[in-house]
Formats: sequence, C-alpha cells, structure tokens
Amino acid sequence: MDINQLKNKFIKAGMDDVVLARQTNNSTQIKFANNRVVKTGIELIDQISIFLVKDKKILTTSIKDFSKQRIEKTIKTCSKLIKNLPRKEDYYGIAKGPFKYKKLKETYDKKVDSIDQIDLVDSAINASLAEGTKRTNGIFETHDVDSHLVTSNHVDIKDKQTSLYFSIRSLIEKDSSGHITISSRTLRNFNPGLAGKKSGEIAKLSLNPQPGKTGKYDLLFSPLAFAPLLGIIGEASSAFSVDAGISFLEGMINKKVSNNNITIIDDPYYPNALRSTSFDAEGVPTRQLKLVDKGVFKTYFHNTSTAKKYKTNTNAHAGLIAPEPWNLKLNPGKLSTEKLIQNIKKGIYITNIWYTRFTSYRTGEFSTIPRDGAFYIENGEIKYPIKNIRVTDTMPNVLRSMQDMGNNLTQIRGWEASLPVLTPSVFLKNIGITTPTH
Amino acid sequence: MDKSLADFALRYIEKRGASYVESKLESHETTHILMKNGTIEATNYEKSVGIGMRYLMNKTLGFVSINESSKEKIKQAIQKSIRLTKKAEKIKEPIDLSHEKIYRESYKVKPRMNPLDISPEEKIKVLQEGEKAILSTKIKTPGRYLVYLDDVTKKYLVTSEGAKIESTIPRVDFYYVMTVKEGSKTSQRYWQYGVAKGIEILKEWNIPKILTDEVKSLSLALKKGKPIKSGKYDFVVGPQVTGIMVHESVGHPYEADRIFGREAAQAGESFINTNMIGTRVGSDTVTIVDDPTLENSFGYYLFDDEGVKARRKVLMKNGIITELLHNRETAVKMGLQSNGAARSTDFDKEPIVRMSNTMLLPGKYTQEELIEGVKEGIFMKNFTEWNIDDKRYQQKYVGSECYLIKNGKLLYPVLKPTLEITTPALWSSIDAVGKDFEGHAGTCGKGEPLQACPVWFGGASIRLRGINLR
Repeated sequence: MDINQLKNKFIKAGMDDVVLARQTNNSTQIKFANNRVVKTGIELIDQISIFLVKDKKILTTSIKDFSKQRIEKTIKTCSKLIKNLPRKEDYYGIAKGPFKYKKLKETYDKKVDSIDQIDLVDSAINASLAEGTKRTNGIFETHDVDSHLVTSNHVDIKDKQTSLYFSIRSLIEKDSSGHITISSRTLRNFNPGLAGKKSGEIAKLSLNPQPGKTGKYDLLFSPLAFAPLLGIIGEASSAFSVDAGISFLEGMINKKVSNNNITIIDDPYYPNALRSTSFDAEGVPTRQLKLVDKGVFKTYFHNTSTAKKYKTNTNAHAGLIAPEPWNLKLNPGKLSTEKLIQNIKKGIYITNIWYTRFTSYRTGEFSTIPRDGAFYIENGEIKYPIKNIRVTDTMPNVLRSMQDMGNNLTQIRGWEASLPVLTPSVFLKNIGITTPTH
Repeated sequence: MDKSLADFALRYIEKRGASYVESKLESHETTHILMKNGTIEATNYEKSVGIGMRYLMNKTLGFVSINESSKEKIKQAIQKSIRLTKKAEKIKEPIDLSHEKIYRESYKVKPRMNPLDISPEEKIKVLQEGEKAILSTKIKTPGRYLVYLDDVTKKYLVTSEGAKIESTIPRVDFYYVMTVKEGSKTSQRYWQYGVAKGIEILKEWNIPKILTDEVKSLSLALKKGKPIKSGKYDFVVGPQVTGIMVHESVGHPYEADRIFGREAAQAGESFINTNMIGTRVGSDTVTIVDDPTLENSFGYYLFDDEGVKARRKVLMKNGIITELLHNRETAVKMGLQSNGAARSTDFDKEPIVRMSNTMLLPGKYTQEELIEGVKEGIFMKNFTEWNIDDKRYQQKYVGSECYLIKNGKLLYPVLKPTLEITTPALWSSIDAVGKDFEGHAGTCGKGEPLQACPVWFGGASIRLRGINLR
C-alpha cells in the first residue's frame, strides 16, 4: 500500500493538510513470575495514523485494513465527518518541507530479532536467586518498528527502529524487594543478568524494614525512582499542558526553577535512546533543546501551531495535538551514589516509586509511594531499610531542592516511567515524607 | 475482519498441538473529542479490529495478536508464537485451567440512541453547552479540559472447548479537569462519568450542571475554606470517596492473580493471602461485592473473556473476607471454579483478573443522619488526590469539597483535609453505612503492557469514628 497515493487521495478529496504516519510493529514479550515464564507474547500491528485538516477543522483516525474497499470507505467517511466539525481558530498549519535529516546513531540492531530471550530471562532469574532472593517477576520485550511519515507539505521520511526492555523485581519477603529496569535500542550493554543481580542486591539490603517517620528529609533518588518525576517535568513542559491548565511550569519561561548546576536537555540524537528521532510528527528535523539551563527554565515544547500562538518558532516537538519531549536528559554530576550517600546527614535513599498522583497539576502538589528498597541514612551511612512512607511535596519544590546528581546517567523506562528518560541519581534537600496515621 | 478468521486461527493452533485455545475477534468503533478552554482540539474517529489468541502447549501459555486479515500473516504470527512458546517450556510455570461449563451465547446492550448513529457535531454540542455553562458562572476558570468518548465494542470469542460468546456493548465516557482561580490561588479537580449505554445518558448526566456544580464547589472552598487542625475526628465520606476506597483497598487486593504473585513486577501484590478467607478485616457494617451484571454499569459484561458466565462476587461480608476475584488459572490453584473475572481491554491484550463494578452495599441511613450523629467531625463529599501502596495496605485521600461538622451540622468549608490510613484501620472504623448508593466510573490500570479497563466503583456514604486527619 503506497502511503503517498493515500495522501494524494485525501488531498484530492479536499483536505488542506494531511499527515500520514505508518507503523509496522513486530513485538515479542516474555512475562515471568515466581521464577518461571507465565506467558509468551507475539504482536503484529500494521496501521496508518491519519491527521486531516480542512478549513481549520481537525479530524484524526487510522486505517489498518489496506484493501481498496476500506481505503475508499475511509476517505468517504472522513470527508463527510470533517465538514461539520467546528474550526480550531488557533491552528496554524503544519511545517513546510522538504527537509534534510541528520543520521541517528544506534537505533536499529538486526540481531534483536534473533536473540535467545528465554536464555536471557533465565540468566537474570538465576543471577537474582544467587543473591539470596526467593522470587523474581518481570517482563522482557523486544520491538522492531518500521515507520514512514508523509505530509501534504512535502515531507517523506522513513525510519527503522528496534528496542529492548527488561524489568525484574526480586523479592525475599513481601516487604523486601528490589527492582531494576533496563532499556536499549540495541544489544550493546544490554545485560539482563546484571539487572537480576542488582535487583537481588537491593532486595537483600531491604530485609526487615522498619516503619518510617513523618518529617522533612534529604532524599536520594536512584535513576529508576527519579525517572517518573523527570517525565512529569517533561509533560508539564508541553505547550498543550500549559494551555490546558495542567502545568506547574506555566509562566516560568526564563525564570529560575532550580539551582545553577541543574541542566535538563532534550536530545533526540542521544545514541541508543528509546525516543531518538530525526523528525517530529510534522516531519520537522529535530534538534537538541535546553529545557532547563543552569537552573533557568527556557522553553515549552512546541509544534507549528502552538509556536505561532506563543509567538515563536516550532522547536520540532510535534505531537500534532500535544507537543512532547524526545529524550529528556538530566545532566549527571561527578559523584557516585555511594559518595552522595556519604554526604547525607539525615535522609532516605529511595530506589523506586509507585502510584504518583496530583492534588493539582497546576500547583504541582503531589505524592508518590516509595516501593522496593528504601533506606534510612544517618551521618553518611545506610542504617536500616524503611517502609510505609510517602513522598508528599510539590514539583516546583522538587525542582528547587535538587542539589546534586550522581555520575550514573541511566536510560529508564518503567511502569511508572512510561515516558523514557535519561537520569542519574538525584539528591534533594528537605522534602516532605508522610506516613499513615493509623 | 471476518469472524471466520477467529475460527480459522483457533483450528490452526489446535492442529499444531495446543491442548487449549481461545480466539477472540474484537472490534472498537470510537469517537473521541477533546475540548480545551472552549476550543475543539481534535475529533478522533476510529474503527479498529484484530484477533487475539491465547493457547496452552504442554502447559506453557502463549499469546499472539494481529490486526491483519490475511490468513497467511495470521499463520506466520502463530508459527512465530509457537516457536517462542516451545523455547519457553524449559522454564515455564505449568498452567492448568479450571473446568467450566461451556456456553454458546450472544448478548447486546441495546442503546436507545446508538453512538454510531449520532454525528460528532451533536456530541460536540454537549461539550459546548458545558463550556457555556461554566463561563456563565463568571468564576475564573483558567483551565477547562473536557473529554468525550464513546465506544461500541464487539467481541466474538471461541474456544477449543466449544465455547462461543458474542457481545456488543456501547459505552459513553465523559471526563474533565477543571481549574478554578480566586485571587492568586487555584484549585483543580478531575472526575469521570461512564456507563454502558447509549447517548441518551448525556441528558441524564446533565453535563452543564455537573460542571457548574464543580466550579462553584472549587470556588467556594478557595474563597471560604479554612484549614483543619490535625487531630482525631469522626469522619463522614460521600459515595465518591467510599467508591475509590472500595476499589483501591478491597477490589485490587482481592485479585487472585496478584495474590499468587503473577503481577508483582508492576501492579504489585496484596496484603492478604489465600489463608485469610474467613478473616475479619472490617466492621460488620461492611459488605463489598463485585458485580459485572449490573445493567448499564461501566464495567458491565455477562460472560468474561474466557467464556465464563459472570456473577456477583461477595468479596467481604459483614467485615469478613469471603471470596477473591478469579480467572480459570487462579481458581484451579484453590480448587475452585472461576467466578468470571477475566477481562482484556482489546484484542492485543491477554485476559487477566480485573474488577468490574466494585461496591459497598448500602445500609439504612441517609447521609444527613450520618452527619447528625457526629459531634465534631469532617464531611468529605469528594476527593482530589489519592494513592495506595502496591500491597494495597496504606492509602491516602485528599478532600476537595469538604466541611467541618459541629453538633450534627455542616458548618463551613475546609481545605483539603488529608487521610492517610491502613486498610484494616479504614474498614474497621466504620460504624454506619448510608443508603445513598452511587456508582462512579473509572478507567483502571493493570498489566504489562498496560490495560486501561472501564469499571465502576461505588457505595453509599459511610461514617468512621476517631480518625486522624490533617
């Protein structure tokens, strides 16, 4: 099925703007629980996402059946539906191509298709059990995606990507566990056995946790624990979120949000990163963008329409409806996690968080629950593991309180970190911890 | 996609040596409309269809999903899946399934106004009326995010045991995030409405009233709300709060696959175990059920996605754990029959143990009578932030529309009283249950890959004694 032909059919049917994105996704999954494989999965999905504009009226749909009959029916249905939709007056079109694109590094590895996933899962389980754990649970996914983007404004670009995701949670008792995730585009440095070992080490350290106490603490977040919060910063940076009243970064352009040593960059060319892309959803060539530069918040993520509304230019972050980040990266520091712990007088080391929820996205008031190993630190030493605590604070305060980062920049994707990011360990000062009162 | 493709896929997998096969063709026809601050951002219309196949080969579970209608491509996907499943045999968990009665049935929810017959612009008009109503209050609302969604789901499930279930269920869903400003302060709340019904529900809901009530309540709390002093209170909560408490701290921990550790990596486990059937975990005023057969409920179905007939499950009876939520795999581990809790949200997702409509059964008091029985306390009508740990043991609820109670009367609004409590303490503190039952919609997340499942959570107002709030 020729996607350009489909584009031309929509133009002939009277559409002003047409964006078609075809994705063919071959995925595999191995799910394991209690040290055994409980399910294998194979998924084959082929579809074209369709974005149409006529007279500033926007309709989106998709097509999965590429028969002539289905295509003709889709064009007819879309032409009928779009006629009576209301106009979006602040829609300003899609970027005009053609464009030249930079090459991405390490985004496709043909060996992904032929790896022995079962052996890798087995090695991870055994590495965890060798640490003294009793149970392991997790998932191993691979994806092989072909994509093709065309627009009515002379964009035509193809891409091939692979990715791997491995998650292992190791448990000794119900209250003693450790969780590690690893994600990659290629097999380079992809080591489930090491992930199994590390998750087992955390589980071992977290045996017999004591209930935590309410108060203000210095907190050290591992990369897995900080990743969801960095993702939240990224989502709040979308111009769409700001307009919708669900961003704590509204009105913060060129304002100081954090300390001078905090720089967050969006890097669509980071090698081996899950969201690396040379083009956005309009086909605009992507580029590195400083989101927070030495503590100063610099910009929202834009597409062509939101940029015009904010009297600026697109920064290649379409999202045709809502602009989005690519690879958000918090610049690392110089110290190891162990050294960061040594600098903490009274604090908590958190290795994972769960169920982050907001009282208000606009003010950034939220709480989240540390899960798996969480450790009380006193005078630079881990004293004992703790449980039943909640981080209760605001995102603006999280940003302000970021003091230092570890040297362990890690790509993280996970259950709570659905937006993959690159983050080191992060040390924050004086953050609220609450506990159940009954 | 033709139903015969699901039959074809089933036969093809059976011929390759599977001892059990399920093949489900599932289609969704949806309209999804986003309105942001009065502007329609996009209208989305989708028609998606695919086949998901689940099978056992030498007790190893395989799952394969495809959205292509070519028999050749279906065969290739199955072959690839079987190769992987055979490799997994050496470290498999041997899967058994309970024996269940075989049904060959079909059922539909017949809407009075079929979503498929109503144009998107008619649906947009409802959001526009809501927007107009918000603006007519003259309250400052810098963020007005309204979402409309309807979905007609058709399923065709066949199994190698001879089960055949066909269903058509329409659902209508409305969701908002409302931000209100008074002076320099803002307040925000999000809420969802959902039913398995036709578009006639929109008039019944009365979206303009829903939104103006919300905006006025947020504004009142900002203007007149006072913080509470941390301390012990008697505590009355409205049905919305009861519902989320039921969902998070009873429905979820009673999911048997969670108890057996199958979902430990992401959704977590449970503070309860299979030996706790018959254990008291709440006061004798508390009876909680899960019931998919409630007509027009958001979590409605009559047969689950393994072909098992659905029924009401009594999870907690008078404070005592009575029953867990089972699929065929978890039921057989306890020597039981499945109670029909297996659900999947689309063709490309495996069925796992899910809630449907989880509710505290009503008692005998009006809400006013519950409040009258409080000398000094807090009434939490609804909430904003909430969360719970992954064993479903310690939870938090932050109030939105809340009032101080003094001598049985509501005195003035209070600002965001917060409850952080353990599950046994919560359910043991209830001394009276109201009769003002309400069911509220949610989209519950579980599974990896994530499955967002339509559910109701519900109950009546309840009163708790001697609760620490801050």
